[in-house]
Amino acid sequence: MAIVIQPYREEHETAVQDFNRRLQSSSGDPNLVFSQSAIPRWLPPASGNSVWNEFYVAVDASSAEKPRACGAYALKQEQIFVRGKGTQRIACYHHPVSEGVVDRSFASVGMLLARDALTRQPLLYALGMGGMDRPIAKMLKALGFSLTPIPFYFRVVNAAKFLREMQALRDKPWCATLMNIAAATGTGWLTIKSAQAIARLRSQSRNSASDFSVEKIVVEEIGEFSGWADELWNQAKDAVSFATARDANTLRLLYPPNFTSNIASTRRLRISRKSSAESSAKSSAIGWAVIGVRRKDPKFGAMRVGSIVDCWAMPENAALVVRAATEALEKDGVDLIVSNQSNHLWGSAMEKTGFLKGPSTFIFAASRKLTELLQPSENPPTFHITRADGDGLPVNF
Amino acid sequence: MSASTFDEVRSIASDILGLPVARLTADSSPETVESWDSVQHLNLVLALEEKFGLQLSPEEIEQMKTLGATATLIETKLQSTPR
Repeated sequence: MAIVIQPYREEHETAVQDFNRRLQSSSGDPNLVFSQSAIPRWLPPASGNSVWNEFYVAVDASSAEKPRACGAYALKQEQIFVRGKGTQRIACYHHPVSEGVVDRSFASVGMLLARDALTRQPLLYALGMGGMDRPIAKMLKALGFSLTPIPFYFRVVNAAKFLREMQALRDKPWCATLMNIAAATGTGWLTIKSAQAIARLRSQSRNSASDFSVEKIVVEEIGEFSGWADELWNQAKDAVSFATARDANTLRLLYPPNFTSNIASTRRLRISRKSSAESSAKSSAIGWAVIGVRRKDPKFGAMRVGSIVDCWAMPENAALVVRAATEALEKDGVDLIVSNQSNHLWGSAMEKTGFLKGPSTFIFAASRKLTELLQPSENPPTFHITRADGDGLPVNF
Repeated sequence: MSASTFDEVRSIASDILGLPVARLTADSSPETVESWDSVQHLNLVLALEEKFGLQLSPEEIEQMKTLGATATLIETKLQSTPR
């Protein structure tokens, strides 16, 4: 066997289709596949783009008949802002798939993929992975990556439905019975609403009352991001120690107008302060949010699950943006709202809006070189990482 | 492959794979050892690189099909690497 990792080209597509068939038939997992197209559907490379995806494929070149694909991965090339160090180019390592998952004779492919990615871009990160105990997280840790969970927040909108549908909590018969009783009698509703109210009050007591005063805001759904988003990006980036670029040009690529997917429905919200003296067109934006309703997931049962996917604002306006996004999702009729926020100020904004913090399996893994770049004094609570980072929208919806 | 190199490789593999040394032979491989998955394969490569002070290329890592082949590879590398 002579494995060569090379850029994924059209000539590899048949080999990748065969690879996908082998993975699916051996694992029974329909999601264990790599892109059948050499050209990424989301963020294809294009001249002048600030963010794009590149695909790589591991080919067993010793195969006598035709090249045999035995692994593949994607790199999302993007720009980051690091406070005090300016803008840098890094890459997100995502969708690694190895034949080693179904055939032990390919056990080395997983590490070859990761090492190849590190060679191509030493400033590398991965995001998500499903928890610290997953093979990909363990492998990256062994390769010297530092791993940190990104806090998870949730807000229950429909408590009775939440209690009935949260399959993840209903594994044990006694728990399911208790939750059915709680849902039927209203005690569950009371418990959840009380917990959310307590979280909100505790958060507000830690912060000045004035920064969450009820004020009139204007929320507009926009087709695409424009110059005002550049102003916000430039104003607020120094308030975080690390963020992937969220200038207007990048946001247009990440959240294109008319972005349609069979798995995503998202909305872009521009939030500004209402001023009687100005029309909404003239009012200055204080932040933005990207929200959406997640695809059906067995662990959420029949619930409609909304997500605050991404957001940006000056820290003092974070709570207003979260509130606006939350209200928009509630108007959409969601039963539960979820979000991942690394930044402690955004976490505080979530709690002010009645979100509760839950256990997170959304892991940020930074390569040694990236960890060095982010050192010495910075740490994840001052980063700005959301669900939209990493492999982003298509996967997380 | 010399017995001493094989013994050292086997000892490292025993630690990583969580198996008694006696259970590992020159023919032991990811296909015959349950705990030898892709993560442990990486850990084995990293441990060997550290122990013997060498760097294994992707082509060399592919040669690590069995413990015996791994020991042979390490020995060849040690002989060809100036000390």
